[in-house]
Amino acid sequence: MKNPIVDTTRTPSRRTILRGAGGFTMALPFLRSLFRHEARAAGVAAPRRFVALATEHGAVWPASMFPPDGALTSSMTYGGHAVRQGTLPLSVAGGVATISPVLSGPSTVLTSRLASKINVVRGLDITWYIAHHQGGHLGNFAQYNHDGAAPSGTLVPMPTIDQVMAWSPSFYGNTSGIRERSLVIGGASLSAGWSSPSTRSGQVQLLNAESNSLTLFNKIFVPSAGPTEVRPPIVDLVREDYLRLRNGNRRLSTEDRRRLDEHVARLDELQRKLSVTGGGGGSACGTIVTPTMSNSQVRGSDFGRNPTSQAQYWRMINDVIVAAFACDTSRIATVRIENDFSTYAGDWHQDVAHKAATTQTAENTLAPASQLFFQGVFLDLISKLDAVQDPGGGGTLLDQTLVQWTQESGPITHDPIDLPVVTAGSAGGFFRTGNLIDYRNMTKVGHKLGQDGSLIQTNVGLVYNQWLGTVLQAMGLARTEYETGDYAGYGCLCLSSSATSWYAGHNKYGTPELSVMGEILPYLKA
Amino acid sequence: MKEAMTSRTVMRAPALALVLALAASGIACTGTIGVAPGGAAGNRGGADASGGNGGPTVVKFTCDASLAPPVIPLRRLSHNQYRNTIIDLVAFATPADALTLAATLESSFAQLPADSRIGPDAKFARFFRLDQAVQQAHIDGGFAVAREVAAALTASAARIKTVIGACATDADAGNDGACLDTFIARFGERALRRPIMTDDVTFYRKPAGAPPFDAADYADVIALLLSAPDLMYLVEHGDDAAPGGTRVPLSAYELASQLSYQFWQTMPDAALLDAARTGALMTQAGYQAQVDRVLADPRTARAMAEFFGQWLENIALEPLDSRAGTPVFDALAGSFKPGPDLRARMLDEVTDSALYYLAGGGTFADVIGSKKSFARTADLATLYGVPVWDGNGEPPSFTDDARVGLLTRAAFLATGSANTRPIMKGVFIRKALLCDTIPPPPGNAAANPPPLSKESSTRQVVESLTGAGICAGCHTTVINPLGFATENFDALGRTRTAQTLYDDVTGHVLGSVPVDTRTIPAIDEGDTRMSAGAGDLTRMIQESAKLNACFARQYFRFTFGRVESDAVDGCALGAIMDTVDQGQPLTSALRAMALHDSFRQRSFR
Repeated sequence: MKNPIVDTTRTPSRRTILRGAGGFTMALPFLRSLFRHEARAAGVAAPRRFVALATEHGAVWPASMFPPDGALTSSMTYGGHAVRQGTLPLSVAGGVATISPVLSGPSTVLTSRLASKINVVRGLDITWYIAHHQGGHLGNFAQYNHDGAAPSGTLVPMPTIDQVMAWSPSFYGNTSGIRERSLVIGGASLSAGWSSPSTRSGQVQLLNAESNSLTLFNKIFVPSAGPTEVRPPIVDLVREDYLRLRNGNRRLSTEDRRRLDEHVARLDELQRKLSVTGGGGGSACGTIVTPTMSNSQVRGSDFGRNPTSQAQYWRMINDVIVAAFACDTSRIATVRIENDFSTYAGDWHQDVAHKAATTQTAENTLAPASQLFFQGVFLDLISKLDAVQDPGGGGTLLDQTLVQWTQESGPITHDPIDLPVVTAGSAGGFFRTGNLIDYRNMTKVGHKLGQDGSLIQTNVGLVYNQWLGTVLQAMGLARTEYETGDYAGYGCLCLSSSATSWYAGHNKYGTPELSVMGEILPYLKA
Repeated sequence: MKEAMTSRTVMRAPALALVLALAASGIACTGTIGVAPGGAAGNRGGADASGGNGGPTVVKFTCDASLAPPVIPLRRLSHNQYRNTIIDLVAFATPADALTLAATLESSFAQLPADSRIGPDAKFARFFRLDQAVQQAHIDGGFAVAREVAAALTASAARIKTVIGACATDADAGNDGACLDTFIARFGERALRRPIMTDDVTFYRKPAGAPPFDAADYADVIALLLSAPDLMYLVEHGDDAAPGGTRVPLSAYELASQLSYQFWQTMPDAALLDAARTGALMTQAGYQAQVDRVLADPRTARAMAEFFGQWLENIALEPLDSRAGTPVFDALAGSFKPGPDLRARMLDEVTDSALYYLAGGGTFADVIGSKKSFARTADLATLYGVPVWDGNGEPPSFTDDARVGLLTRAAFLATGSANTRPIMKGVFIRKALLCDTIPPPPGNAAANPPPLSKESSTRQVVESLTGAGICAGCHTTVINPLGFATENFDALGRTRTAQTLYDDVTGHVLGSVPVDTRTIPAIDEGDTRMSAGAGDLTRMIQESAKLNACFARQYFRFTFGRVESDAVDGCALGAIMDTVDQGQPLTSALRAMALHDSFRQRSFR
């Protein structure tokens, strides 16, 4: 035996510091310097990026969530009714900048510059009683909790739009520097993908979500190859082993072989990821130090009732997302946030969210909590993205990104009518920003005031599937890449099957709304 | 050939009262209590969820032995099974370091995705084993684990000597090749759970190249073995000697894995591999002997804890301390201070009760009707008013006549709030315990739990909320009666004869109202018998064929990793149900499944 003790672990040799809210903070001026080492050729368009933040319940009253209707200064007929738009208002008082009671934060952070990169969109609906769900945010409507009522259409699992992007050559033209096609983040997953993503076929399955910031960092961190790193990984042999079984002469079923084929394709993806090297060429991550602390360490015993800790927890996730985008080792992140951002002791789900439409007390608890999320997480993320210049040109990372915050329900828990969509970034100039946009049809009432004790009224509007299609187009995908079935946009168009429902949209979507679903939503395209 | 099973048949028409209630309400709730609906739309995994069409709950299974039931193709080990397998392989390779290494490897296993709980219902009775999704994270994580374990097993010359053999570290480099080949054959049989052939040895030594070998060479060989398809999946070719066809007997090694993963959640042990190697497993006597040995092994509790724990988990039970500090909850709790772990202890008690009867020759009926406490901690024992059980020997009996079985265990009574939840209690019994399907709530059903009232009992509040109109069809006859039967327990699972009324803001006591547990449970449609409370309800549930049929369905799902099809799985379902119907010990049901053809054969399509 020769030299039996060889350290086969990889040790990064060049490191600098990425420091963050908890374990590491991104030193933004330093990050800017990172890009001096970027090898992206001049003239090549900077990549677009996508972040989806999704919170539970919703149920924020419109007066808290949105600016007043008076800000809507222009109108046009679209989808059979008048839709409206105006410049996003921003007022500053006492050091607090305010778009709406929920969309507010320190004026040093929510600056007029940042506000000009935000869009606030309302009047988008899911067309059946989905109630509680995780998949609706990104188009896998079949991932719902069965608290509602099944629709009339065929509801089948579909990949979420982030996975459509992740495996589209239109989005990832060159994956040579990409360590993770997408970061699926949270205690549970927003995202679903194919069992054979490389061929975009097979069964649709939920993707595993990761919530530990350190684990996530290690996924996107590409250390520089050290001098001892000379052994190639054995993935090629593992692949060969699977093919030995797949192509052997022993009995297997057709489905056995299909599973083996899918595994081999996954090994190819692993091989591709392992070939991403740091320290030069395409990635600046080789100059970043691994953080020593994970966000799990801020989860104290009072975490569930501590909005400060909750914000810190998710800010550490934000740091990883910004690092991934800055280093261009990933361009997609989906984040499911399950915290309430409140000190409320008790059952938030039952006592607050489910009662917010019928009691002012619940709303008084819920709306401030939503504001804390906006300030502590959403604003934190977009301000960090906006502080980093994209080396490919086109402004900051935020300018090249679309960040969206969606909620599970509209103003009434369970009812997916008038879903708020708050975005930031122009996705490389695709979107006009700084707008308040209202797609509601003010002549079509959804939930009536007083109905089931509701203290608010809703109006139906355009179909949420159209938003999903708009996002995919913003990310460079052609409609032919993702549209299926009889309707355009993205996701199953499943209509409500029952008139007796909390759901306020039964029989309220017709040809005017459905015929435009494949188009880019009005007022958004730059 | 079709053969009727001896299982009882109860397929009754919907109760007239129910039909009338539905007709009166004119709602979409058909009132049909049906078999679990097919499809868990959007859930992870590719399980065949063709559980039924929502018709009456089927409690008679028809066996057509000519049919070839489907199988999950290339079944993936569950996260737990994979973890256990790797730990056992480490122990096989280096017994003295096993505990130390196992502890250090825990963080490695976190690189693989946790399994999702999947079943035909979106919330109740869902099992890890039905999650057969394979994601990129499985491949990435599995490869990372393989490399990390390999690095650990070759971390020092001493360990290489232990793992590979003394020939790997002696001064003679000339014997390195033979040394490595021997290791591959020995370790490979364990890791791959099949014979290692010459071509396997040739293949798995590839990364080492030519001798002499260093630690990295050995590590790569081990990593390659740990990354093999035969480790992550249950690779099945069937017995090579068997003729082709849609149903083929499993090979001896495949049977060994089938048994060990079903009952131990890990790879076969030396005795099972010996039986596979010698062919004893392919004889009826040899196979039965191994089944009995496996079932008698304490490791069987590992799998059965997962089965009972996941089947009987009350998903509506919130952390018991979630409302601690609020006036009403504190008023209810009094001097009792629930901690954050009490929920888990309550759920564990249910599992412990099942394992106790399983190990002691008890029956499924014993599990349902047990009057013993399995509270292992003072907090739960205090709620029951019994001594703590030390986990060994005879558990203490409940001293309160009100506690009469499974449904009166705290896990099914407590809520984490100051109020009981009779609706959720009823839904649990219907869906999880009886395998009934309840139509989804009407669209305008309030999703809020019943509020605490200053004047009325929770039963009265629920009756007021659900007793008329659109809700009545399902609630008054199907759901609520089952939950009302245990309203003589408070929201911490303590017995009571009256319900204390509180001011919901201050927590001040306002008075009390009597509890009423009398109901008509109508476990089987059309049964109009009155129940006085939990005792009668438990008896009626045990008298219904639904209970044992549901046990058969749940155990089938756990065993095969898929939702049953009544059309083609009747033989296996009937075999399980018969043993329970006949009052045989729980182990007999497990044995019946293990001995059944469907467990020992697979189809290739």
